[in-house]
Amino acid sequence: MTTTLINTSAHSAGYTDKLLLPHWAEIVKIIPEIEGVTTFQLKFTDPEVENRYRFEPGQFNMLYVPGYGEAAISMSSDLETANGLLVHTIRHIGNVTRGTSRLKVGDVVGIRGPFGTSWPLDAIEGLDVVIACGGIGLPPLRGAIYRIIRNRDKYGKVTLLYGARTPKDLIYPTEYETWQKAGIDMQVTVDRGDETWTGRVGVVPMWFYHFRVDPHKTAVLTCGPEIMMRFVIYEALARRIPSDHIYISLERNMKCGQGACGHCQQGPYFICKDGPVFPFSALENIFNVEEY
Amino acid sequence: MVPAEDIHSALQKIPWFSTLTPEHFKKTAELAHLRYAKAGETFFREGDKQDYVYIVLEGRVSLDIFVPHHGKMHFYTAEPYDVFGWSSVTPGMHQRIAGAVAVLDSTVACIDAEGLRQFAENDHDFGYLLMRRLANVVASRLMVTRLQLIDMFAGPTETMND
Amino acid sequence: MTDKSLTIGSTVALPKPELDLLMADLRKNGFQTVGPHLQDESIVYTKIDGLKDLPRGILSEQNPASYRMIQTGKDRYFDFIPGGQSWKQFLFPPRHTLFTAVKDGKWLLKENDEPTPRYALIGVRACELAAIHIQDRVFLREDFSDPIYRLRREGLFILAVNCLDPDATCFCVSMGTGPRLAAGFDLCVTELDEVFLVEVGSELGRSLLADRTYDLPSAFVQNTANQALERAAESMVRTMDTSDLPGLLTGQLEAERWTEVGKRCLSCANCTLVCPTCFCWDATDQVDILGKSTRRERVWDSCFNPHYSYVVGGNTRPNIRSRYRQWLTHKLGAWKGQFDVLGCVGCGRCITWCPAGIDLTEEVAAIRAEVKA
Ligand SMILES: Cc1cc2nc3c(=O)[nH]c(=O)nc-3n(C[C@H](O)[C@H](O)[C@H](O)COP(=O)(O)OP(=O)(O)OC[C@H]3O[C@@H](n4cnc5c(N)ncnc54)[C@H](O)[C@@H]3O)c2cc1C
Ligand code: SF4
Ligand code: SF4
Ligand code: FES
Repeated sequence: MTTTLINTSAHSAGYTDKLLLPHWAEIVKIIPEIEGVTTFQLKFTDPEVENRYRFEPGQFNMLYVPGYGEAAISMSSDLETANGLLVHTIRHIGNVTRGTSRLKVGDVVGIRGPFGTSWPLDAIEGLDVVIACGGIGLPPLRGAIYRIIRNRDKYGKVTLLYGARTPKDLIYPTEYETWQKAGIDMQVTVDRGDETWTGRVGVVPMWFYHFRVDPHKTAVLTCGPEIMMRFVIYEALARRIPSDHIYISLERNMKCGQGACGHCQQGPYFICKDGPVFPFSALENIFNVEEY
Repeated sequence: MVPAEDIHSALQKIPWFSTLTPEHFKKTAELAHLRYAKAGETFFREGDKQDYVYIVLEGRVSLDIFVPHHGKMHFYTAEPYDVFGWSSVTPGMHQRIAGAVAVLDSTVACIDAEGLRQFAENDHDFGYLLMRRLANVVASRLMVTRLQLIDMFAGPTETMND
Repeated sequence: MTDKSLTIGSTVALPKPELDLLMADLRKNGFQTVGPHLQDESIVYTKIDGLKDLPRGILSEQNPASYRMIQTGKDRYFDFIPGGQSWKQFLFPPRHTLFTAVKDGKWLLKENDEPTPRYALIGVRACELAAIHIQDRVFLREDFSDPIYRLRREGLFILAVNCLDPDATCFCVSMGTGPRLAAGFDLCVTELDEVFLVEVGSELGRSLLADRTYDLPSAFVQNTANQALERAAESMVRTMDTSDLPGLLTGQLEAERWTEVGKRCLSCANCTLVCPTCFCWDATDQVDILGKSTRRERVWDSCFNPHYSYVVGGNTRPNIRSRYRQWLTHKLGAWKGQFDVLGCVGCGRCITWCPAGIDLTEEVAAIRAEVKA
């Protein structure tokens, strides 16, 4: 008897070949975004894997850099926009993510995934959508933005609140105009402005002070530093947006991505498989418990 | 654009004013005038004496503070219906502790701070409504300041503790 | 003697030396026999070649933060209560190579093709079998079937043993898992002074036993065993009130007791490593010195390790209070919702092996008392 780590037979339909072994994907293009953040376009080396690989915006991969290890990285596009390529935008901040900064076009990385829940783009059809994100919280939402733009008439007012530390920390700045033209109200905020900045200065949640929302027909999608999301949620709840219309993407230490290694647990959930995207109604009892 | 002569109709658009009694509204409007500011125009500078409290109607006004060696830091922008220069209404504050500059062409309602303070002093019912509104402004400003203070987008400043 | 009437559910009296032959048969059939062995003053589970390797005439005495072996000189093999190790090391190896990536121009993936060992576990207690059943639910799910665990589990042979002399740290009666075995084994032994009473639990167990020499048990022998089993259950001193544990604990996330126990706990992770149900793991790369190949290895991890809940810039459970709370509320709370069973079988290992003598039954009682107060 030999150990076979890949097991496709014992699982239900769909892309299931993802247990513990990564698939190689070649770097097709590297796009420097801002200092310390890079976008990688990847193509699976095995065409069969490429063909059956499907995902929804909001899901993530475990990205493996040989010798460094794995990191959870969200899809930062959708397959349609990226012509079937996998797109990951990575902040080089620790061991693995800094390892990716040394990679060149033609190098390979390992991919396991896709994992987790996705943004509820079908469930929120017909509603106004407030997308509230900050810093590296925009990439996990970009696929959703593309999807919304392609189906713009299915949604009401769509507002994108994006916050960053300073104007030069804004990711994907060249796309904002296209998004604005495609019917997304772009509200960009920085923590600190400089002399040339004519945009908003402040923090993302303060948008709620200045704009009216119709609580019964508004959905909020939020991703970013947990403290920012917390304040977005406070403001959304204060405006009586129902907690099951507020969606949040949580970040926890992750090793397996499939509810097996234990690392990402919080309360009843494995954030990697029950999340990362949750309706806030599912988190009400645990989100504000300190250090839980 | 808001017609200059009609400060009344301008103020009526501001949510807080629609909650005032007709009498309170009238008296407040008497203390107010409109100002059109081109982008780059200054409302006040740090150290100026406090004269008006402002409400943005259109445009965007940035609040800044001068930090030696860093230049002007913009720490807040007031958006339509936002209040700025509110400390002029609170007793005890005598000079501006920040500067305010229009970053976009802006229309701003300017309300005589001393007159407003007098009015509140003489009519505590109005005074309560005014201070309640200002308390909200201050609370929201504190929330923003706290989140900025936390510097939530900063990289890791420390490695794993314990 | 071959007895055609031997069926699943039958019980026979097996002379002790016959167990040696039965283990030899298991090995002949490709099994590695692993079982209890006295090593460095404690009972470990390791490869054994027969009765001679079992801890003959040994009793253990366990208390919070204390473990001692006692020589009885009796001709008995299973009087001890299990030590710090559990069977999980065989199904869920503490270290296991997932793959090796080799750079030969491009990176290539080499799967771990070591043959999966086929284990015969000799001497599995009721609580331990319950723990295996719990880990079955963790590792063999519809949405995630762990290949390493699955292959080891599928080939497993279980010779179970009834406990006759629970230790002071045991509380399996409260958890409903022991001390008497009910099902899920291939063979189940109750040890008496002169003989093993062996119950057949599976076809494989039946066929192995059928080749041995045994007697039908006399009514006297059966009576003696039954009485010993009843006495065992009655003698258990430690208890835990399990009524609505998940509700109790998840409702008490801010209990004072967490702060208090957080001061005593050292966050050493012993409790999680000895626990037969804890399943957390980490994966790391072991790089060769030239950077040409790297071995990715899965290793046991613990919610008490600081890096376990590390995220860039901080730690979601930055102190011991929060880690102990995570451990207990998961084990006795959230686990139920996740796997439809509690994560504790009452084996008492975490009590014995905690250097601070922290006793989860006491912690639960204290939290219950806070609710009532
Ligand atoms: C669902 C999800 C989606 C993510 N999407 C993106 C993305 O699109 N782009 C991006 O740049 N980053 C993303 N992150 C964060 C990214 O996973 C971490 O920055 C990365 O794991 C850091 O690993 P490292 O080895 O570089 O850092 P180190 O500091 O060396 O990390 C050590 C270990 O801690 C853990 N860890 C550290 N920080 C995090 C973290 N923030 N989240 C989870 N585990 C962490 C990892 O297990 C890592 O192995 C995402 C995280 C999650 C959970
Ligand atoms: S929690 Fe303690 S008593 Fe319960 S199964 Fe684990 S080690 Fe045994
Ligand atoms: S409870 Fe005891 S064994 Fe567990 S981590 Fe704390 S000190 Fe170690
Ligand atoms: S990442 Fe392993 S359980 Fe969620």
